[in-house]
Amino acid sequence: MTTLPGPVLDALRAAVGAEHVRTAAGDLAAYARDATPLFHRRPDAVVFPGSAAEVAAVLRIATEHRVPVVPRGAGSNLAAATVPTQGGIVLVMTRMNRILEISPDELLARVEPGVTNAALADAAAAQGLLFAPDPGSRTVATVGGNVATCAGGLRGLKYGVTRNYVLGLEAVLPTGEIIRTGGRLWKDVAGYDLTRLLTGSEGTLAVITEVTVALLPAPAESRTGVAYFPSLADAGRAVARVLRGGLVPATLEFLDRRCIAAVEEYAGLGLRLDAGALLLFGDDGPPETVADSLARIGEACAAEGALEVTCAREVAESEALLAARRCALPALSRLGSLTILEDATVPRPRIAEMVDRIDRIAEKHGVTIATFGHAGDGNLHPTCVVPSAEDTEAVRAAERAFADVFAAALDLGGTITGEHGVGAAKLAYLPARLGEDQMALLRRIKAAFDPAGILNPGKLGS
Amino acid sequence: MSGTTAARGSAGPGQIFEPDLLSRCISCGFCLPACPTYALTGDEASSPRGRITLMRALQSGDLDPDDPTLREQSSFCLGCRACEPVCPAGVQYGRLLEQWRVHQWRGRRRPLLARALTLVAGQRWLLRLLGLVRGAARTRSPAGGLPGSTRYLMLGCYERGLFPRVSRAARRLVPGLSVPTDQGCCGALHAHNGDLATGEALARELGRRLPGVVVTTSGGCAAHLAGVLGRDRVRELSEELAVAVPRDPAGLGEVRVGGRRARVTLQDSCHLRNGLGVWREPRAILERIADYVELPSAATCCGAAGTYAMLRPRDSRRILDPKLDEIEAAGVDYVVAVNPGCLRQLRTGLRRRRSPVRAVHLAELVEMAARAASADR
Repeated sequence: MTTLPGPVLDALRAAVGAEHVRTAAGDLAAYARDATPLFHRRPDAVVFPGSAAEVAAVLRIATEHRVPVVPRGAGSNLAAATVPTQGGIVLVMTRMNRILEISPDELLARVEPGVTNAALADAAAAQGLLFAPDPGSRTVATVGGNVATCAGGLRGLKYGVTRNYVLGLEAVLPTGEIIRTGGRLWKDVAGYDLTRLLTGSEGTLAVITEVTVALLPAPAESRTGVAYFPSLADAGRAVARVLRGGLVPATLEFLDRRCIAAVEEYAGLGLRLDAGALLLFGDDGPPETVADSLARIGEACAAEGALEVTCAREVAESEALLAARRCALPALSRLGSLTILEDATVPRPRIAEMVDRIDRIAEKHGVTIATFGHAGDGNLHPTCVVPSAEDTEAVRAAERAFADVFAAALDLGGTITGEHGVGAAKLAYLPARLGEDQMALLRRIKAAFDPAGILNPGKLGS
Repeated sequence: MSGTTAARGSAGPGQIFEPDLLSRCISCGFCLPACPTYALTGDEASSPRGRITLMRALQSGDLDPDDPTLREQSSFCLGCRACEPVCPAGVQYGRLLEQWRVHQWRGRRRPLLARALTLVAGQRWLLRLLGLVRGAARTRSPAGGLPGSTRYLMLGCYERGLFPRVSRAARRLVPGLSVPTDQGCCGALHAHNGDLATGEALARELGRRLPGVVVTTSGGCAAHLAGVLGRDRVRELSEELAVAVPRDPAGLGEVRVGGRRARVTLQDSCHLRNGLGVWREPRAILERIADYVELPSAATCCGAAGTYAMLRPRDSRRILDPKLDEIEAAGVDYVVAVNPGCLRQLRTGLRRRRSPVRAVHLAELVEMAARAASADR
């Protein structure tokens, strides 16, 4: 049950309307977790604001009474960034889900944070435009959440990630001021780049209430193909060869044998189960460019010992392949009820090396690790599959294995997280990546934004 | 799938849910965009993932068994199972909901209306009487078991009273079906309303009385029966027609309205589509006999959801209204249902609006096309 004092609850109800403040035990239980396993804590209240002004009112109350506030979109986060690890208020942004504007003339869109990535992409596509960031959770995840975690996706190699598309933000500071950073301009260097600072800040600095994103003209054609390899490292070498050859295709995704089997069991696409790895490649652009690109990728795969290379014949087939790839993580739960997913990222040429290291780490700790990921940009998702969350020894072994995975990634010049964020799950590894001086700077930035320390406490600069 | 109930597990002693079903969900949230009640509220607690979080809290004792959110969310859920086909982990949400309602609607906590409806449907003699009065099985061919027949038409419980024309049309379309009048309810109504044990017992009893392939005009009944008797024992009408029609391609003409080919759309039956994966078949038939229009919301629940439209009329209409807007805007002559609950919901909703669009069952529309063909011959 809630532990917030009556006057705080009264103030919250006055700010957003009583029906948008929940404190019943069952309502709180539903917001105790996001998509991250092993992290849960019930909040003391769940609040659904309907406007920036309401967000500001909630934050002023929270600052005054020193109540933690954790902003949340759809709760598809994979690093426990939206778990209220210190209780307090979960601020759910799903009511603010309007697409305010799509401007083909300026190639931009203005949306409220609760709109889903797919809804924005569909609305843009209806006007012949492309919203490029496409995280695997695109149908679920909100644009606000995408910005807060700087989400990546399957097109990262060619198109970059969320930060490359955020032109401006409206955000509410923990002390209640509403600020607008950036805007509709493609060139604007007035002041520190707060838009970029807030992008990926995981709800620790401000609450995003409006997002202006850049759009692109939609490519004339998108096509994909599939190559099978004896092992994931072979697929990694093929990727390196593709990139060396001067191509930057839209998609280079790979799955290992376990992932192929899990995805095939769900999607039934007729994938080959006897191969050690699958490389899903794709490109978009004018038809002749795409055809040339796919042919060259096919040649590179063959040169690295691909068992088979095929191109999707129809758009629907391509869509099905991409959709199946996006399902890799949940499909893996068919192997065990606990799937701990990581997000280590290494420089592109070292991907095969990283794959080998992951194999050795799994063997050393006696754990099952299935790996898939965005091979083109060096972003791997090694996923530890544990039969049951109650098997504490197996869970500890998985955690030890991941400590080694992070160390290996850093050793190869990589990072502990490429696109999922640090959250509560990877905070312990952050100093190893940033060093003490940067950690101290993070804390000073945090204090400048949030003197009372109420926004998503215990994450990033705390 | 095995043909017996042994294939379906059960919760252990003192447990509400089968632990294996509950642990399958990894909370990825891929179900959220498929859920009609999440679309209404944007509230995690009214999403499939959030409801599973609640079920886990109930099973573990973290929430009081009579927690009001548990009561509300177990009842607010339509039970449409739209979350199942989109779940890469293969969570059997419909099964979990059945088990949840057994707990939530135990004893006197069960809504009075649900108690009354299941009580009536559980009386075989009453249904038989209803069928006789409404003439659900009345045709020229003998009503009892045809000698040597292994295919049986299920008359449904409330369907035979509300829409007797549907079974009569089905009999004319699929010759050679046996139609014993002394057949009871399949028990789907009970299973979805907190009485899983009776629901499964009734299905087994019906399986004994119709000891071959059971042909049904109700998608919801088809899914429930398939779960208890095994998939191979059940054919929904559109599946049956998908086999029967190509054998006699000249047997179907086209449905015409005002001198032109009719424009029709389909409302999927949630359990038929999400539970049994049957959705191409009715479309294929409709495309033959009319100009078929696929509407964006065809696959989402119409808000009938068994007893839901009666137990939660306001929420049911919030689900239905945007769909009716879409149907009316599409300029169709007919909206076709493959489940009696959907038929009632659409018909009532369209009448309330004094809409010119008519809601019909697939059997009725296909029969119109068959009549047109025989008139041409």
